[in-house]
Amino acid sequence: MLAALGVFFVYPLLSALRTSFYEWDLLTPPRFVGLANYRAILSSGELFASLGTTLLVSVVVVLGSLVLGLALALAVNRPGRLAALARGAVFSAYVVSWVSVGLLFLWIFDADAGVVNRLLGALGLGPVKWLTSTSVAPLTVALIVLWKVTGYAMVVFLSGLAGLPPEMQEAAALDGAGPFSRLRHVTLPLLRPTAAFVATTSLIASFQLFDVVRLMTQGGPVRSTTVLVYAIYEQLFRDLRVGRASALVVVFFVVLSALTWLKLRAFRAEEPA
Amino acid sequence: MKRRAFLLSTAALSGAAAGCAKNDAPPGRLVVPFWFTYGGRNRATLSTLVARFNHSQRDLWVRAIFQGDYFEGLAKLRTALAAGAAPPLSHVVGEIVPYLAEAGVLEPLDDYPGARSLPLHAALGQAGSFRGGAERPLVVVPFNRSTPIAYINQRLFGAQHGHPATWEQLREIARELTKPGRFGFGCPIDWWYWAALVGQAGGEIVERDGRVSLGGNAGVQALALWQSLVSEGLMKQPPGRDYNAWEQLSQDFLAGRVAMIWSSTAFVRYLEETADFPVRALPLPHGVRGSVPTGGTHFVLLKSAPRELKQAAWRFVQFMLRADSAAFWSSETGYLPVTSDAAQLLETSGFYARHPNYRVALEQLGVAEPWPWSKGLFRIQREVVQPRLEAAVLEKLDPAQALAEARQLARESAL
Amino acid sequence: MTGERNVRRLALGFALLAAICWLFPYAWMLLTSLKTPQELLKAPTALPGALRLDAYTEVFHALPVARYLLLTTVMALSIAALQIAIALPAAYALAKLDFRLRGVAFALLLSALLIPAELRFVPTFTLFSSLGLINTLPALVLPFAVSAFGTFLLRQALLSIPDSLIEAARLDGASELHIIYRLLPPILAPSLAAFFLISFVHHWNDYFWPLVMTVDDTVRTLPLGIALLREQGSGVRWHIIMAGSTLLSLPALALFGFTQKYLLRGLGSNVG
Repeated sequence: MLAALGVFFVYPLLSALRTSFYEWDLLTPPRFVGLANYRAILSSGELFASLGTTLLVSVVVVLGSLVLGLALALAVNRPGRLAALARGAVFSAYVVSWVSVGLLFLWIFDADAGVVNRLLGALGLGPVKWLTSTSVAPLTVALIVLWKVTGYAMVVFLSGLAGLPPEMQEAAALDGAGPFSRLRHVTLPLLRPTAAFVATTSLIASFQLFDVVRLMTQGGPVRSTTVLVYAIYEQLFRDLRVGRASALVVVFFVVLSALTWLKLRAFRAEEPA
Repeated sequence: MKRRAFLLSTAALSGAAAGCAKNDAPPGRLVVPFWFTYGGRNRATLSTLVARFNHSQRDLWVRAIFQGDYFEGLAKLRTALAAGAAPPLSHVVGEIVPYLAEAGVLEPLDDYPGARSLPLHAALGQAGSFRGGAERPLVVVPFNRSTPIAYINQRLFGAQHGHPATWEQLREIARELTKPGRFGFGCPIDWWYWAALVGQAGGEIVERDGRVSLGGNAGVQALALWQSLVSEGLMKQPPGRDYNAWEQLSQDFLAGRVAMIWSSTAFVRYLEETADFPVRALPLPHGVRGSVPTGGTHFVLLKSAPRELKQAAWRFVQFMLRADSAAFWSSETGYLPVTSDAAQLLETSGFYARHPNYRVALEQLGVAEPWPWSKGLFRIQREVVQPRLEAAVLEKLDPAQALAEARQLARESAL
Repeated sequence: MTGERNVRRLALGFALLAAICWLFPYAWMLLTSLKTPQELLKAPTALPGALRLDAYTEVFHALPVARYLLLTTVMALSIAALQIAIALPAAYALAKLDFRLRGVAFALLLSALLIPAELRFVPTFTLFSSLGLINTLPALVLPFAVSAFGTFLLRQALLSIPDSLIEAARLDGASELHIIYRLLPPILAPSLAAFFLISFVHHWNDYFWPLVMTVDDTVRTLPLGIALLREQGSGVRWHIIMAGSTLLSLPALALFGFTQKYLLRGLGSNVG
């Protein structure tokens, strides 16, 4: 088990670290270049741009999945056909392939013939440049990720709600607390660990973002949707620059670890002793 | 017990999956994998030719494998080269040829039977496609080659609008034809068309001494022309990247939303057949001179493949360059006939008389510009220039500054 | 109690809105796949004029759908089976055995949870290409043999199993292997089922890894094939692309429909 973890998790990272000091196109022998790859991704602005895009998408997805996931969980946490339908519908997106989702929304958000812009047009609005404006495209991508992962957040919140002791709700109700005040003072504080879990999962999902970018925007327009994984892919397969791709991998790993560590600390600090 | 049954059935399934991967070749034939990157009609035409070849003899079986668009296919090819899993035969865009040749992965073709004596059109073979291409070992044979041309919507043009022969006329006519909901002109913001404009403005992307100049002032003028046409609302800048933008532009043209577009001659057949208005093809206008780049792809044999397969692949290449094959390919798609035999055939059979649009690109080859033999050309295209063209037009950057940055980057980054 | 009723109404309204937002895209995908190119060009948002399956015929014509489907299924099944086979003993060791490096192993496991495949592919790719494994089924399966998520999930489930059960089996002379592969699976069935489903669906849908590890169609998976539909030609092709997307979504959605209960329970149980 330890060995397997080593082979599939530790070795790749160490190997990426080593390769990041070389220039290598896979076709001719690697050449040691020191920190040149790091300098290149810094000076071209590629590192900060793709990191920024990734973080922007992450923020939207993490906050969105927390709010929307919780709201949906509260709304559908009841018997009845409509609630069951909504539960199934929202969660189904989680099991559908990213490829389907990417292609589908490419069509739905098509600038001219897409149904969204057509509907907006019928209302006398738009057209919105969903995927063709540098300022809107990253948000569109984030919205699609949100559509895909919210179902998971909802399910996790549902199981969090199911685990709450019902007596507390009843007690609060007897005390005369309205539904919203009960939500705020009783339910939400108890759901904090659940929220932490959802935030972590959404963060990882948005850091892994690749499929929809590749299928829908190829990182554009300009570089507005070039997220980290896409930048790594581009360096390796479009430009055959293994060294720079590895340097990005190393930075990516450091950032992800730092974020996780920060978050763990934040949640630990908030926990009552 | 269940577990074992499950594992067994998994194994059986894997066997089945692997087994039906290659069942299309008749027994006893040598299978020659050929990676291709044509879609749609081009793909269907290619399939016809492959089938013809496979039925024309009894010992070989060419298996054509679709690999996405040019850039997708190229990524796959380089991946495969690195992994030692490359096919014997593929086709690649011109811009990458120097890189692949210098990396030593392309098979020299000089000693293959008939390789040096193919009746290629002077501008389309290695010698004409690359500056200095004649002095190097032969590594490419052209197949689907093209130039950019202009397409006009004859119904919108009517008799009252002239044909643009210069940049000024292009602007004038685009202005006349622009109306609410319609653009006079459309062009993908793409390296290829920029290269055409640079040439027309009198520049070269890489100077003869190998210096990367990106056309100097000519490069700036080319970019500025686009910017001014877009900002005056005369030109539609199609959304999307690479061929998505080209495709989008075709759709806009076909729907009457753009009166005149620049695109590849490869779309003659498709646009003629699909449009519900008469389509006319025109040569690109002149700046200080006439100039167009060539495009499309060349056949390459990959050195890493077994000798036997490379020789087999060469027989297929020879078949594809026969006058009847090359003429068929050209007339079905709009790509150039790459041999003089094929062009002759199209002429004498009356094809050009019936379909004058196909002749535009052929005649335009008179002003075709060879690409520099520069190892970094592909990276200049994909990493340096293409993203900056997009950014400069979309974000209205100063063209001189955008290109100065690009030049800087091109010189710094080890290309 | 009108407040409560209003809240109920609000909740149901919200649920309805959500159902529409999530179901409409599927409906649109299906509707588009039934249209003709002419309909798409003239009125892209109108309903199809008749029930036409031409787009599906075209997908089957353009791609060896059955082969891709088979290969994708084999790949996902192999990964899920392998993951369970390895995660079971690992989780058992972490939950029930005392050994010196247990703390280290668990910390490693937790950090491995954070490392996405996207971070591992560059070195794995170069390693596999030097081994000649690119474009083979093992290249698609082996890197996923160890599932940190699965090990974690099973460990959590094992913690709630009383040690006395295992002690009793040992006293009866059961080997550790017997305990791991015979005794535990029936007890862990709900967790195993959930994990199997999650893993299967995830890898069945995966686009990234097959994209970077394969070069031609000897081991091309269905998501890759469907994604290629977009690049296959000129003209209006949305009906074909949507037909492909429908074909790709159906198996996962069907599986989800049949197993919703296990899946949701399994997913919910790994919290905290």
